[in-house]
Amino acid sequence: MPGGMQLKTEVLATSACALCGACLDWCPYLKNMEDHLVLSFDCPVQEHGRCYSVCPRTFTDWQAVNEHFLAGIPYDADIGAFQTVYRVKGRQPLGEQQDGGTVSTLLQTALLEKMVDAMLVTGHEDGLTPLPFLMEDAGDIQKVAGSRFLASPGLRKIIEAREKGIEKLAVVGRPCQVQALRKMEYNKPPEVPALDVLSIGLFCMWSLAWSFKDYLARTYPGITFSRMAIPQHGVELISNEGTKQVSLEEIKEYIRPGCAYCLDMTAELADISVGAFEPAPGWNTVLVRSERGKDLLERARSRDLLQVEEYPPEELNRLRQASRNKKARGLSMIKQAADQQRFAPFIDMSQSPYQEIIAESSGKEGF
Amino acid sequence: MEWMVTANEPGKTYLMQGNEAIVRGALEAGIRFAAAYPGSPSSEIMTMLGHVADDMDIYAEWSTNENCAFQACMGASMGRVRSLCVVKQNGLLTLGDSLHTAGLSGCKGGVVLLVADDPNAHSSTNEFDSRHQARAAGIPMLEPATFQEAKDMMIYAFELSEQLQQVVMVRSVTRICHGRGNVTLGELPASPSQPLPIGEWDKLISINWFHDLQFTKLDQAQAAFEENPFNWYTGPEEPELLVVTSGTGWLYSVEAVDALKLGDRVGILKLGTTYPLPEKFVLRYLEKTSRVLVVEEVDPVLELNVANVIAHNPGLNVSLYGRYQKSALPQSFELNPDVVIAALASLMGIEYQAPQTGEVPADAVVNIPARDLTFCAGCPHRASFFLLKQTLRIHESNGVVMGDIGCYTMGGNRAGHFLLQSIACMGAGINMGEGLGHLSRFGFEQPVVALAGDSTFFHSCLPGLVNARYHDANMLFVILDNSATAMTGFQPHPGIPLNCMGKPANAISIEKVVEGIGCSVTVADPYEIEATTQLVYDLIKQPGLKVLILRQPCATLAVRTKGRRKVWVDPDLCRGDECGCGRFCSKTWGCPGNIWDYEIGKAKIDEVVCIGCGVCASLCPAGAIKVEGGQA
Amino acid sequence: MSVQLGKDPLNVVICGVGGQGNILASELLASALVEKGYYTTVGETYGASQRGGSVMSHVRISAQKQYSALIPRGEAHIIIGFEPIETLRVAREYASKITKVVFDPRPNYPLGVLIGEAVYPEIDAIAAELKYLCGSVQILEATRLAQEAGNAQAANILLMGALTAMPEIPLQAEDYVQVLNQRFKGEVYELNQTVFDLGFNSLAV
Repeated sequence: MPGGMQLKTEVLATSACALCGACLDWCPYLKNMEDHLVLSFDCPVQEHGRCYSVCPRTFTDWQAVNEHFLAGIPYDADIGAFQTVYRVKGRQPLGEQQDGGTVSTLLQTALLEKMVDAMLVTGHEDGLTPLPFLMEDAGDIQKVAGSRFLASPGLRKIIEAREKGIEKLAVVGRPCQVQALRKMEYNKPPEVPALDVLSIGLFCMWSLAWSFKDYLARTYPGITFSRMAIPQHGVELISNEGTKQVSLEEIKEYIRPGCAYCLDMTAELADISVGAFEPAPGWNTVLVRSERGKDLLERARSRDLLQVEEYPPEELNRLRQASRNKKARGLSMIKQAADQQRFAPFIDMSQSPYQEIIAESSGKEGF
Repeated sequence: MEWMVTANEPGKTYLMQGNEAIVRGALEAGIRFAAAYPGSPSSEIMTMLGHVADDMDIYAEWSTNENCAFQACMGASMGRVRSLCVVKQNGLLTLGDSLHTAGLSGCKGGVVLLVADDPNAHSSTNEFDSRHQARAAGIPMLEPATFQEAKDMMIYAFELSEQLQQVVMVRSVTRICHGRGNVTLGELPASPSQPLPIGEWDKLISINWFHDLQFTKLDQAQAAFEENPFNWYTGPEEPELLVVTSGTGWLYSVEAVDALKLGDRVGILKLGTTYPLPEKFVLRYLEKTSRVLVVEEVDPVLELNVANVIAHNPGLNVSLYGRYQKSALPQSFELNPDVVIAALASLMGIEYQAPQTGEVPADAVVNIPARDLTFCAGCPHRASFFLLKQTLRIHESNGVVMGDIGCYTMGGNRAGHFLLQSIACMGAGINMGEGLGHLSRFGFEQPVVALAGDSTFFHSCLPGLVNARYHDANMLFVILDNSATAMTGFQPHPGIPLNCMGKPANAISIEKVVEGIGCSVTVADPYEIEATTQLVYDLIKQPGLKVLILRQPCATLAVRTKGRRKVWVDPDLCRGDECGCGRFCSKTWGCPGNIWDYEIGKAKIDEVVCIGCGVCASLCPAGAIKVEGGQA
Repeated sequence: MSVQLGKDPLNVVICGVGGQGNILASELLASALVEKGYYTTVGETYGASQRGGSVMSHVRISAQKQYSALIPRGEAHIIIGFEPIETLRVAREYASKITKVVFDPRPNYPLGVLIGEAVYPEIDAIAAELKYLCGSVQILEATRLAQEAGNAQAANILLMGALTAMPEIPLQAEDYVQVLNQRFKGEVYELNQTVFDLGFNSLAV
């Protein structure tokens, strides 16, 4: 397993980095401030680099990883292995929750049911600036409710969890973060103590660079935004002086370049994945994947914290297509990076479903 | 030793450092006033004068810069008191304008300017020859060749200065200043020079009208030099080759003639009074030979003066050799006996056999690692450079860092992670930063950072900071305040509440000066690496002029007062070569106190070198480095 | 008047790393010699070298006259090394078969070695090359002995003691008492005198 310098040349310096934060676990060379993540000094470790082994943008056999964690779960080429899909809504509003508040409710459940000792969630500093929190108290969930659209390397808090002696941790993460968490377990050296992670994956199309805040400061001077939402028609920024709209065109400039290479819209390796339910505001789409994920949802439902409904099939198809489209775009960008010799593909392009999607898309732009 | 320079033992011989001999000479000359700015190889002179100031009833001052020092001496000179100004070569240029105008105005009480050059730049950015300035400024110059002369010439210089009412330059070099040798003491005056009242028409005015008078004074000096105890000839009546030499060149020449056994064929004309050149005296010996080799440091100054004499005396039949165009000696770097022996041997057609060194088989030749200069163990600059490099890398904006002169100049090499991108002279950092930062209006986006030490700040950054504030510069100015002029030997400066003579002084607060100029200023501790990294990161995001003072006393000074805390490595916790460390303390942090235990393959602290600052302990990713009594 | 020297000028190099007390050592030696009536010149290389760089003093002793501050190549009669690689560095320039070397084998690691870019050579290899270059080589663990006596920092004084014991040096141990007294008081003087004597008695004759 190569080390820090390879991580730098293959991921950090090539704009492939997804800013998941997993590499910050153990290392004195990797530094993060805001949305910068760099190798501050040359690292002499050339073998057994933990950073390299956990990074979602270094070469991984995802099929093998899927087999390891989600064996026996029916595999869907578009949205990953899952048992059931539901339309879900929290029964009790929890602070500034997003959509149906399902994630907050699931976290609350996991803590109340003592399925975990603590949770790692991304809260916020000032409405928009993300800040990862390690919390042990269910009551704190309200503070961190709501989605963050600026990228946060939240997994840098894992080391704190280990230092605190936490053994069972719930983590809410973007797909790249869920991938990293699985790689942490999959590539774990024997001397590293195991960390039992219950992962709640978030649907994600992209995340924003922090320079977006500068854009807002320039465009809307003096206004403080407390929340952001992405309903179907664009991006909404909510402040106490009303809501401002930003078109997807304007936002594009601030999408992190690393997001372009992502092949995972629905956090395919999580125990349970949650996203917005497009047709009806105030509801979430939930994909139950592992037995633990199923167990978590059940407990929430039996505590009457969640309303769980059937999922409309046409919406499932739409979801599948959206995810497939994202894979196609990502594969095109990965191929471009390889052609331009910026970095080699971090997935086996000949594996399913990549090969099929590439074949489908050939002739289209990027292929 | 203080007791040597103040000893009332005329005729007693001591081993004295050249700088000590200069001090003794100045005291024997009855100086009352001395001012200087630290600069190698001259710094010990004023330090010693400060130590003996009380005993000798003189005033000794570490001035804020060389200009202040020299002009202060000129002021004291108006009061008819003998004054000594001491500078290194670079400092001479700092006072350049003052020197030239002083040459025009002349002086009242004797003023001697002791300039210490640094051939080979052992402790300087560059080597250059100050002797050009004697001609340029139109003042007489003396060059001591031995430690004894270093003392004796000071007395003569003051006499000459008062005789001519002109500033006199005495030019020494590193091998005299920092060398030691036999010096026989003379008599100390019963009382040093007393100030006299200044009349209404008693003036020191620099006005071009006096230019001719200045030449008259030089002619008078020249006349005095024609028969002078510091100039003499040794050798045959008509030498095949005449060596003309001054300063350290003399002893090398003597050694070369001895080594080659050329005493009956080669003559040596030693000159101590080298500007203006005593041409009649020199001509007498040029007439007796056909070849001349001039041996001097650094530039062919004496050589070109001799060439001048040859050009104006067409009857001579002399070939001239020396450093000019490398005709016999190298054009740069310092001389030594081997170089002069080689030149002389070549000119005289002799093959010289140096003592044979032993034969070393090829496989027995050891690869000797170079010894890079680095910051002392515990130096706050190590912490400052580490955190600045780290912050600029994290910010990913290719910040540009301008350096300046001091211990922190070493931040341009490995010790400072090659952080500095410009190094020039005192005060250059802030001015270069101001200039570059203004390019932001043309689309230049990289953050600009300029560094300066605390002594450098007072020496030459004040106008720079005013300029930056006045023009709303776009830069971060970082003042590395280690409460000392460390590189030159820990002399005090205006930020320290103690003066050259060890008495209380009005320390000036750097932050108040900065605020007074109208800048926002933050003070932080470079030892607090994480917190200060965050601070610098936040500062470079802001536009405009920001000033940051990184304050932590020089480690070498601190350990004298605070003593050392014990620091050690717990080998069970140390990760060593493994992922998550990779010898972070010795390889990346790079303190000489952090070494490696080759036997167990773990980090170790060198107890002899470590001063106990504890910064490495705060950086160790495994928490394996322990500090006595807990963290810093 | 001073006793004639076997070799005139007698050339001694004292070398080490900045901070090891090289300057003090050469100053003590030279002062004692001047007191005894010899012409002594000391050429020092320091300044920036203080910051962990190489340091050397050239000491030139003569009963006849003052010599220049630098020893010609190959003409060092004695080299006293406070540090192994510095000793070798100096020996390559200034030693020949006329040279006797005494050095302290305790390494002081340069920055390049600490960061892993260079390897510190084996002491045996250093001693072997010194034997090729010089007339004789002796190892003296001055730092260890000084540490045991109470202060590792006094290794330089110990080495001066050893140097003084060498027959070439026209000094007795008593000649040092005055120079030490002039510079140190109380406990510091006692320690330095002890350490000096230790050095004086520690070399094989």
